[in-house]
Amino acid sequence: MSLDHLLSSAFLVTWLAAAVRLTGPVLLAALGETFTERAGVLNVGIEGTILLGALAAYLVSHATGAPALGLAAALAAGLLSNLLLAFLYVIVRASQVVAGIVFNGLAVGIASFTYRIAMGEVASPEPVAMFRPLDFGGLGRLPVVGPILFSHTVLLYLTLALVAVASYVLFRTEFGLRLRAVGENPKAAEAAGISVAHTRYVATLISGAGAGLAGGYLMLSEVGLFRDTIVAGQGFIALAIVILGRWTPWKAMIAAFAFAAAQALQLSLQLFGTGVPTQLLLALPYLLTILAISGLLGGRAVQPASLMIPYEKS
Amino acid sequence: MPRFIERRNPPADGPAIFLLSVGLSLVAALLLGGVLFAIVGADPLDAFATLFGEAFGTWRGFGFSLVKAAPLALIALGTVVAWRSGFGYLGFEGCFVVGAAAATAIGLAAGPEGAIGPLPFALFLPLALLVTFVAAGVWSGLVGALRAFYGGNEVLISLMSNYVGLLFVQYLISGPMRAPGGLPQSDRLAPETWLPFILPGTRAHAGILVALVAAVLVWGLLRRTPYGYEMIVTGLNPAAARYAGIPVKRRILTAAFLAGGFGGLAGLVELYGVQHRLVDGMSGGVGFIGIVVALLARLDPLWVVPTAILYGGMTVGADAMQRATGTPSSITFILQGLIVLFVLMSEVLRRYRLRLDLIAGKPDPEVQRP
Repeated sequence: MSLDHLLSSAFLVTWLAAAVRLTGPVLLAALGETFTERAGVLNVGIEGTILLGALAAYLVSHATGAPALGLAAALAAGLLSNLLLAFLYVIVRASQVVAGIVFNGLAVGIASFTYRIAMGEVASPEPVAMFRPLDFGGLGRLPVVGPILFSHTVLLYLTLALVAVASYVLFRTEFGLRLRAVGENPKAAEAAGISVAHTRYVATLISGAGAGLAGGYLMLSEVGLFRDTIVAGQGFIALAIVILGRWTPWKAMIAAFAFAAAQALQLSLQLFGTGVPTQLLLALPYLLTILAISGLLGGRAVQPASLMIPYEKS
Repeated sequence: MPRFIERRNPPADGPAIFLLSVGLSLVAALLLGGVLFAIVGADPLDAFATLFGEAFGTWRGFGFSLVKAAPLALIALGTVVAWRSGFGYLGFEGCFVVGAAAATAIGLAAGPEGAIGPLPFALFLPLALLVTFVAAGVWSGLVGALRAFYGGNEVLISLMSNYVGLLFVQYLISGPMRAPGGLPQSDRLAPETWLPFILPGTRAHAGILVALVAAVLVWGLLRRTPYGYEMIVTGLNPAAARYAGIPVKRRILTAAFLAGGFGGLAGLVELYGVQHRLVDGMSGGVGFIGIVVALLARLDPLWVVPTAILYGGMTVGADAMQRATGTPSSITFILQGLIVLFVLMSEVLRRYRLRLDLIAGKPDPEVQRP
């Protein structure tokens, strides 16, 4: 394949459209995760939460034929499962990493068990009702910008709107201020009358909502079929996105796009069969993330100071 | 907090409460597991009998349990060394595949047609262990260096390094190390380089012996040498360690190197004992399960191997159960998760107590006091 081919507009459009499409779910999960991490809780459990959200979305959409209900179920599954995580993080004060890892294993078990019970042994299940791509009254048919920007499902646009909402809540409201105070210096926050336990509970539930919805997004906009491998590390990618986005919603959006672009480019390149090692491409965003937290660039100052440290009221 | 829950100050401690909490966790997990078995229409007692009977009651099944246990134990030992030294390493998936890749390279080189082969097994195995340990140790040592010298967060960096490692090995088997043929995989290792089977009539290979030796070495290091003591002090309180004159950064680097090394050996035993060639997706989450095993063993090196055998055995039993009765093996994953979860939660029992008299509605004498 020649360079001209790579730069041809058809290739670029396909690539960028796919990149924008893939940005959605991980960004949604990353937005929620930004809140917990800002409150000092590293919620590794979002990987499992996404899976449970996807399952709930699948089952409900399958039963009702209404993807909107499926999305609501995904939200409920995310909130419910993260009640357990919040309990582990806040009351039990377990190591957050450990609780998250164990939860992820448990979630795989629960999801595949529930799927078996609910669906029985189906050889080739049919895809559920999904959200349809929007068209914006013809804007989607415009050359170049149409496929890239105006031909996605409503979930993408909602997610992008949530970036603004998250930014506003985190940096312009009292709740956001309290949340960040708890993540930076829980002792001082407690002294100022903020309940660390309560704040961290709420923050963990927010990330549960984000991850659950991300699972619903994945299911109802991209996959349509349930397998217990559909998440395939996207929760961990969301963790990386939060870091690369330096715990800021709109930077997380850029980071999510970077990850998605690498993934989409790898898919396209595989299609064209070039000699470029696609793994290098896929590894690049991770390497960037590592660089961002390596301390080589002074990233430590940005990280919430009490991240991963369970808080004990004295 | 409701009035009938009271904080224990200080938390309850001692072997009795530990045994009680672990016992309760196990009972609770098994009960819930029993409910799940009942839901799918299996007799819970039968199911548990198959689950544990296959893994520990049959010679063949026990062999499989040992096969599963070997890499888990080695990764758990890496976790023990790292976490005891205050290095929250999570990069064992990466170490596993990097170790497996190194073991493949040396295994192919030492085979009958290799560059340095054929080597006698007595010479080959120590060399392979060393090369693999160093390769994976350097891999995790890089994370250690970022933490020690630049203050990077090792938990997050190591989590991300997993993917870099996995992708790197994916690249190796689809490029430089790829064998001719349709599948992305390396050449098959010569049988001369395989780990010998240790129990007649089973697939159990010598990997579990490697794990046992490693467990004793880790125990000796941490409990019997000043160097290990300094590593533990570094983990307990880096500031105090620094004041005591312990070179904290170097101890962290050592911990990182050893952790990765053991993680790499896990890849080696899986490769020489089971797969015999480098394939994609070899780790399959074992890097995280190994961490869980280490936690269940309470980061005690001597408990690691028995715990790994128990955990590996449950996985074997789950497969057997699914084959025999059609009971979904996912129940076992739930069971495994629940056990760890309840052990984590039992911590609450140590820190809080229920005031049964207050639940019953009796007035609190302390409140009544003027």
